[in-house]
Amino acid sequence: MEVIAWWAPIAWAAASVLVVVLVVLQVRQVRARSRDRLPIAHAERLTALPAYRRALATYRALVIGFVACIVALIALSAVLTARPATVLLSNPELHNRDIVLCLDVSGSMISYDEAVLDVFDSLTTQFTGERISLVVFNASAVTYFPLTNDYDYISAQLGRLGTEFQDDSPSYLDGTLLGNGSSLVGDGLASCVTRFDRTDDERSRSVILVTDNIIAGEQIFSLPQAAALAVDRHVRVYGINPGDTAAKDYLREYAVEFEKAMNDSGGAYYPLEDPAVVPSVVDAIEAEQAAVIPGAPLVTRIEHPEPFIIAAFGVLGALLLLAWRLKR
Amino acid sequence: MQTRLYIHAHRAVRGLIEGEYRSVFHGRSMDFDDLRPYVPGDEFKDIDWKATARYGSPLTKRYIASRKHTVVLVVDTGRDMAALGASGEVKRDIAILAAGTIGYLAIRHGDLVALVAGTSKATQFVPGELTEAHLERILQRIHTATRLDGAKSNLTGQLEYVSRMFRRRLVVVVIGDDRPLADDEQKLVRRLAAQHEMLWLTIGDADLMRADWSRREMYDVADSSGVPSFLRENARLRAAFEESVVATAERSEELFESLSISSRRVTDQDSVIPGIFRLLEAHKHARR
Repeated sequence: MEVIAWWAPIAWAAASVLVVVLVVLQVRQVRARSRDRLPIAHAERLTALPAYRRALATYRALVIGFVACIVALIALSAVLTARPATVLLSNPELHNRDIVLCLDVSGSMISYDEAVLDVFDSLTTQFTGERISLVVFNASAVTYFPLTNDYDYISAQLGRLGTEFQDDSPSYLDGTLLGNGSSLVGDGLASCVTRFDRTDDERSRSVILVTDNIIAGEQIFSLPQAAALAVDRHVRVYGINPGDTAAKDYLREYAVEFEKAMNDSGGAYYPLEDPAVVPSVVDAIEAEQAAVIPGAPLVTRIEHPEPFIIAAFGVLGALLLLAWRLKR
Repeated sequence: MQTRLYIHAHRAVRGLIEGEYRSVFHGRSMDFDDLRPYVPGDEFKDIDWKATARYGSPLTKRYIASRKHTVVLVVDTGRDMAALGASGEVKRDIAILAAGTIGYLAIRHGDLVALVAGTSKATQFVPGELTEAHLERILQRIHTATRLDGAKSNLTGQLEYVSRMFRRRLVVVVIGDDRPLADDEQKLVRRLAAQHEMLWLTIGDADLMRADWSRREMYDVADSSGVPSFLRENARLRAAFEESVVATAERSEELFESLSISSRRVTDQDSVIPGIFRLLEAHKHARR
């Protein structure tokens, strides 16, 4: 809770002091001018009466109440004009993301795929507005589920795929072996890039590609071509490569190509050895996205004048009542 | 002051009130003086019925007074008396009219008029004389002494002076205001009443709850403290105040009755002459 117009209470205080000073001066002047005070004797004839004491006590109470009401009213006005508000910092574009999980489901990749699925399963509980799609590919790409923000559904699907990874004859492989070869990464990425819908919307689009970039067979799109397609469609690609290790020098060439393609698309490249590192990689991707996505964080101020307005009206009512009673 | 009194006295009431005074303080003796025409207020038993029958209109017997009375006017000249009275007139003016009327009657009757006046600070005594010029001086003295910036009132001081200084029986006319007498004052007054012939004229104090004063500032001359105007419009308080004024007046009347003092309360200048008339009448019938 903070105030928008911090100077308002000061202005109110200054104005109040000014008014009080003016009134006091005016009253003094009038007092000084009125020389025709009535001289009387034995005021105790009146002031000693019990009725007088009662009337005086009542009057005092009324005046105290009246002054208290005025002070309360000024205080409430000061608070109202200071405009108390709750400030929320938000980045709407972060919730405006479309993420396609692009998983290479060749045998060596399963454990990494599983780790990515676990992370995203837990991330779905924090998402508000993000859409996720899951595409698995081997020789050909299959949409496991399309872009959706139905997080219960996403969670169920991710869980199902997680259990299928353990099966001997998994059904998730259905339709992924229809190409000329296996692990056709370029084709897979190109397929993933084309999975985005609502291309006219201002949304942040990214692909998380999990592969070792070991290609067997003839692909239609090479990886650089697929990356160029992603750039063309304003899609960032984040690559996770479990195969990029010093021990596998024969893979170096693939890894270099992979890294270059990722960087060219405006995404990032994460080589890793252990599936346990995947959560931190996904965190890094999230952070990277937050940094890359343009636009200042949106400051939302939610003002709360209602209780003060209600209180002010209450006090005003009491003030009028007291004024009427005092005048009577 | 005396001119106004004179006009008052010369109009309807002069003869009546003179007769009233005479019949109260006639100083009856065994020495017959002469006859004069009857004046309303004369004692019926002083009418010489034989002479009346001869003459054709009522004649009253006059006696040579055995001695001259001394009428002592005891007047408060403190600043309480410079305050406003029940009618809105200054109490001092009402007091002077009353003192003048009584003094005039006394002088016309051949009595001496003396003055004991003063404040809480000092009491002055003006010895009795028989001339109207003397009376005029007395009234002047009251008039100049009674000021809003004068000393506080303390009628007890003047009453104590009377009780201390005078051995001889006197006619003491006290001109005071609505202040109720305290216990020790009552004792003092009781002693005075036993020694002297006492009359008490009360000048009614201001009506503090008067409607056309409610907007104006008001202060007590005793200590300059204000009487808040915001309470002087309160209808309930007004009723309580009026009730208390009546109750106070009744109480003081009862008190004077119990002290064998003839008393009368006047509220404005117009009620002074009738008030004194009634006072004298009451005094005559009380036969103190």
